[in-house]
Amino acid sequence: MSDWYAMNVVLVQTTLTTLLLALSIQVPLRFGVFSFAGVGAFGIGGYTAAMAMVHGEWTTWPAVLLGMVVAGVCTFALGLVVQRLSGLYMGMATIAFTLIVSVLAVNGGDWTGGPMGLYGAIGEITTTHIVIAVLVVVAALAWTELGGLGRKVDTVREDPELANALGINVNGYRRLSFLVSGLIGGLAGAITTLLRSTITPAEVNFHLVILALTAIVVGGARSWVGALIGAIIFVWLPTFLSFVQEWEKVAYGFIVAAAAIYLPNGVLGVAKDLWHKVRTREERAQVAAALTKES
Amino acid sequence: MVENIAEDVVAETRRDRALLEVNDVAVHFGGVKAVDGITLEMRPGHIYGVLGPNGSGKSTLLGAMTRLTPMTRGSFVFEGNDYTKRPARTVHHMGIARTFQTVRLLDDRSVRDNILLGQDTLSKATRKEADSRVEEVMERVGVTSVARMRPDELSYGMQRRVEFARAIIGRPRLLLLDEPTAGMNSSEREEIGALMKQLLAEGITQFIVEHDVQMMVDTCDYLFAMNFGKLIAEGVPVDVVRHPAVQEAYLGKGAGTHA
Repeated sequence: MSDWYAMNVVLVQTTLTTLLLALSIQVPLRFGVFSFAGVGAFGIGGYTAAMAMVHGEWTTWPAVLLGMVVAGVCTFALGLVVQRLSGLYMGMATIAFTLIVSVLAVNGGDWTGGPMGLYGAIGEITTTHIVIAVLVVVAALAWTELGGLGRKVDTVREDPELANALGINVNGYRRLSFLVSGLIGGLAGAITTLLRSTITPAEVNFHLVILALTAIVVGGARSWVGALIGAIIFVWLPTFLSFVQEWEKVAYGFIVAAAAIYLPNGVLGVAKDLWHKVRTREERAQVAAALTKES
Repeated sequence: MVENIAEDVVAETRRDRALLEVNDVAVHFGGVKAVDGITLEMRPGHIYGVLGPNGSGKSTLLGAMTRLTPMTRGSFVFEGNDYTKRPARTVHHMGIARTFQTVRLLDDRSVRDNILLGQDTLSKATRKEADSRVEEVMERVGVTSVARMRPDELSYGMQRRVEFARAIIGRPRLLLLDEPTAGMNSSEREEIGALMKQLLAEGITQFIVEHDVQMMVDTCDYLFAMNFGKLIAEGVPVDVVRHPAVQEAYLGKGAGTHA
């Protein structure tokens, strides 16, 4: 176990930070908001934490916290501006936000290190620290999937008008989803940056949007469990695909396409449907029998 | 005899305080006047119905009442409070619940979860009570045996029952029903009609939009008739269905004698 861990420590840490990034995109999606602002928040959190350590000589955890808060505030403010948009327009506006973050990083001069990025933000972060951070985030999100709160969140996503008729504050929940997305994205960015001690504009880019989105689509968009499944698959996949060598990207593409077609609700969705079918087989048999009797 | 009962109902109606007042409400979509100056009053303890042909504005009126459909002019007063300017979500909190013309349920949630949604935003006391009430409500509408199933696995009539249960679990004081028995067979219709009368006895005033004239006459004790967005008649059911304007607009000549 410890040998395995020593060999794979980077992959384990990357799985955890990818999970956080995927969750920052998943949170707004669960509220029916097609927002990728979590990736911009990742950049803001990473740069803020790095600048606090390099320029301000802050220590690790205050820097991470600052990155989270700044990212959360920026994303929440973005949410206030774009909350009237829907669907693809919302997606485009929030991708633009992410691109603006990387443009600012490139043109930030000494503050951001310009195109070369910032170096020397050496954080004292261990895998245990990341595990604790992930556990806190996951516990909070798991709570939003349970009971009445979980039902309300699902209604806001599936049928906002119905949600309004049932007394649910749809716009309030959606604004809150921007804040949470920003906080989690910022946390992911700050941890990733201080682990590597460096951040460059190239790292805050469209490929992160794709990584987070594929992880959620393949794993499952409606629960943190889906994001975890997706993060594990896409962080470890290259290891298992190494035998196909230069065809790795092609295989990756096929897997994503196949998942989108055959698993519209992700791996988790398939598992849940199966469990539901097993659990309710008696009821369904009765309903089927009643229908045949009627006809 | 029938006329005497009818007069009693009307007289009793006038004594009560208004539960919902609808004052000169209009909903215009561009040039289309879907609802055009409706004024009516509902008092507690009755089942009201709205008759009217397709496109007469019945469902639009219901949409405006719940603030989901933006209105052009007019006002709504519920138990003395004008809620015309308040957001749609506050309507449920005030004690008005509704069902929809087309069933709107969460397909990846169980029947039980869908019903519980009707009380998730209400006060803590109501939620606590509803938790123990959910079994009873399911029993009443007849969905207990399918509590763990998902709505898309059920027949349309069953889905309608689930929607009904979601609307009544929070004990609203006014229940707005948009074609509650559409897609149901005649015995199911009778069950729902009986359920409405039970709910009335428990103090839930109801306002029904429905095509089935016979059911409206059997169930409601006061009817409104609409056509082209306007009120063309109101009164006790037997009178309304005999009204010449109503027969011409909706029932076809001669139909009133059967009702």
